[in-house]
Amino acid sequence: MSPPSAPASPAPSDPSSSPTRTPDCAIDFEGQSVPAVAGEPVAVALFASEVRVLSRSIKYHRPRTFFCLSGHCGACLMRIDGQPNVKACRALCRPSLQVERQNAFPSVGFDVLEAADFFFPRGMDHHTMFTSPRPLNVLMQKVVRELGGLGKLPDQAPPTLPAGERLRVDVVIVGGGPAGLAAATAIRRARPTASVLLVDEADRVGGSLLSWPGAGPGDGLRSAQRLENEARQAGVELRTSATALAWYPEDEGGLLAIDDHGHLVRVRAQRYIYATGGYETNLLFGNNDRPGILAARAVGLLLSRYGVMAGRRPVIVGQGAYAEALAQALGRAGAEVTHVDGERVRAVAAHGNTWVRRLDVEEGGQTRRLRCDLVAVAATPAPATDLPRQHGAQVLLTPAGGGFACQVREDGQTESPGVYACGDVCGYRGPAAAQEDGERVGRAVAASL
Amino acid sequence: MPVKVILCRCEDVTLADLEHAVSLGYTHIEEAKRYTGLGTGPCQGKECLVPTCLYLAKATGERPEEIRPFTARPPIAPVALGTLAGATGGGGEDQGGQAPRGKESAS
Amino acid sequence: MSIGEERGPIAQGPVRAETDVLIVGGGIMGLALAYHLALRGTRDVVVLERSYLASGASGRNGGGIRMQWSTATNIQLMQESMELCKKFAGELGVNVWLRQGGYLFLATSDKERQRMERNVALQNENGVETRLLTPGEARGVVPELDVTDVTCACYNSRDGILFPWPFLWGYANQAAARGVEIHTFTGVEAIEPTGDGFLVRVAKSAGKGKGRETVKSTVKARRVINAAGAWSPEVARLVGIELPNHPHRHEILSTEPLKPFLTPMVSVLRSGLYFSQSMRGEIVTGITVPDKDTGRVEMGSRLVFLSTLAREIVRFVPRFAGVKVLRQWAGPYDVSPDGNPIVGEPPGLPGFYLCCGFVGHGFMMAPVVAKIYGEYLTGGPRHEIFDRWRLSRFAEGNLEAEEMIIG
Repeated sequence: MSPPSAPASPAPSDPSSSPTRTPDCAIDFEGQSVPAVAGEPVAVALFASEVRVLSRSIKYHRPRTFFCLSGHCGACLMRIDGQPNVKACRALCRPSLQVERQNAFPSVGFDVLEAADFFFPRGMDHHTMFTSPRPLNVLMQKVVRELGGLGKLPDQAPPTLPAGERLRVDVVIVGGGPAGLAAATAIRRARPTASVLLVDEADRVGGSLLSWPGAGPGDGLRSAQRLENEARQAGVELRTSATALAWYPEDEGGLLAIDDHGHLVRVRAQRYIYATGGYETNLLFGNNDRPGILAARAVGLLLSRYGVMAGRRPVIVGQGAYAEALAQALGRAGAEVTHVDGERVRAVAAHGNTWVRRLDVEEGGQTRRLRCDLVAVAATPAPATDLPRQHGAQVLLTPAGGGFACQVREDGQTESPGVYACGDVCGYRGPAAAQEDGERVGRAVAASL
Repeated sequence: MPVKVILCRCEDVTLADLEHAVSLGYTHIEEAKRYTGLGTGPCQGKECLVPTCLYLAKATGERPEEIRPFTARPPIAPVALGTLAGATGGGGEDQGGQAPRGKESAS
Repeated sequence: MSIGEERGPIAQGPVRAETDVLIVGGGIMGLALAYHLALRGTRDVVVLERSYLASGASGRNGGGIRMQWSTATNIQLMQESMELCKKFAGELGVNVWLRQGGYLFLATSDKERQRMERNVALQNENGVETRLLTPGEARGVVPELDVTDVTCACYNSRDGILFPWPFLWGYANQAAARGVEIHTFTGVEAIEPTGDGFLVRVAKSAGKGKGRETVKSTVKARRVINAAGAWSPEVARLVGIELPNHPHRHEILSTEPLKPFLTPMVSVLRSGLYFSQSMRGEIVTGITVPDKDTGRVEMGSRLVFLSTLAREIVRFVPRFAGVKVLRQWAGPYDVSPDGNPIVGEPPGLPGFYLCCGFVGHGFMMAPVVAKIYGEYLTGGPRHEIFDRWRLSRFAEGNLEAEEMIIG
């Protein structure tokens, strides 16, 4: 099942950087009991117990595990509690939770369907393959139908359907990272009577701060806790595990739909603030989907929030303050870190069957082989603009800012009146800048009410 | 193990697949999405949108500021039909307009 | 399959200045028609698509193809269309993923049951082996069904589903290979009849930065075909014709991919709900939702669609409650007053041809209609649809309504 790669070990108990992970329950993973900390993501518990492959990819049955660890990439879908295609990085552990892998034959550990990966070595144009003769075409379509899909239909219908909720507030803020929290607090401080609702899809607020490792002023967890406390004290209503789904301009005069623990909430507000941050991005190199190639912020989250050291010999690819902070933190925790910038020294291809063992990099025409048990990709996060775009915001492809950046005026307002954006969604600049931006936009929004 | 550059992890779309679509003239992001299937899986393009657009900009010679993202279709995160089915509570039914004119609905 | 450098079907240069046939609309109808014209030796054919291929209803429909209809014409046409679809991959070199898993219609009232019995008898007379099923038998076809509300069902195991987009690429590839010029991002701004043809003013967004540089030109066309679907009334207005069809938004959604379990397309008559499972494993489903009539093509998505659909689908398949919606979108139905298309030349405007008003079933009908139309325009037989579906029937009040319209 698991290759004999370096085990994920508990991070050293340095109170200034990382918590100590102490399992207090067990989940049921395909009949095996796996120790877990109640409330930590299933993906983290499985990783800490060296379950390396969480899923198989849809066409080529390539081995996969989580990449972003923040609910955005779709690489860790598992069958959890009888429900198919559940993100293992978002599902939280509780005693006896049933967890299974999907989409493999006979098993995810050894999947003969991976033959497809060899049969189509570069990719496939499924539109033009085996179009004739007809019997072959018919046979091919039968095979494709049988192989299609990921998880199986849920075993059972739920006994009841969750009731919905309608809310009217003065301000709704999507995203509880440094920008959203700072904006929320600033509004309430300036306008103590204004109702301010902040929703975040994660099980706690803090956003990008939660994955920021290190001691001292850069300690992300402590900053997150401080901002959360300030928001609560200022009277902000915080809802976690509440995912904003869409802006619907035509329903009931326009509403924001939110999935709050499986209940649908329809929110109407006078002002909407999108502080949605950024999505983890991967770099383009050979086998960039190999398990063990993780978003740098996932590695940081494992270390600083969950107390799990993701690798002993990590290669960090990418530049910027976050890559440096992560390199230092991993080094302090005892890892043998190699850090390449991803530009001058470029990742070419990863090797390893079910877990990365080597990364080939190129520098000035020369290829070097880096032995490793982890690759942390520190690409600039891509601004999460889906919601503000639905709500009328304009975006601009800004490579330095990580992708399509929300275009806003001085006060944070987008093209759409009453709709604001702040923080990394306007182009990645990191948590300190995001917090400042949030405060400023929060004050402007308060003044506009 | 074959070395693939995976552009869209959800749908197993490779960089070579995108290059192929571009060579067929499908250089608009919406065309590339439809021909290769990128961005249509469980993450709905959160991971592949930017690298795809940067590639298309390079391939077509368009300036990045002229490239638009593909439509952000709702919902931006998967939501259970049960969540939607039970969701009428909390003050008032859903409101619709009048029935379509000029055709009989199937009932 | 190997991937290499190839040339695609989209014309890169300017629109040619003179052509025999100019087709407005690069959906399946326009492209299939171009293919059939070229196949029969028509030399100069130009297709203009205002956006990208598959941007309109052809790229947004649920991919159903069925022979269960309420009029003999439609039943017969769809039998032939099904045969054409079966041969599509072999003839046009592109997979369309046709899967004949059948169509299962569910009735929930005596009135619907009577209508169903009448339609099944007509389908049987015309050689389609639709069967009436008891609710229990319907569960035999789809074991996940809750049939509490069901009074009766009908099932034709030879109906099916397919994947719409590849039809466009297949027809476009083969038409372009035979000399048809297909221009995307090219709109029509004016059409002026000249007696022996038309002067058509076109605007093509081209070069670097689509939508940034618009090249305008005039094309002299001997014949113009309006295959613009829901936009066809706008196009007809350019030559001073008011068409009775109008755009109507139809919303649809796709779920997360599931392992194959659902064989047929299932449709509930009372609500217009339909759902099927695509080759990729997604449940693709839509339903009738009341909508305001703006007269324009509306393609926005609404929450009321999701909640209406979710309530009905969970009622019929309770286990769907845990299945997650991945994305929703909308496409324009091209709705005619009697649910049937509008084809042929309108009176007083020779050389201007209509091919529109196909409601929500133009896609499944296009293979056969384009073939019939192509034969007619190249001197072949005049099929009865040119009488039955002529524009003047609305003024004459001589209507035969199609009632098997879903969604």
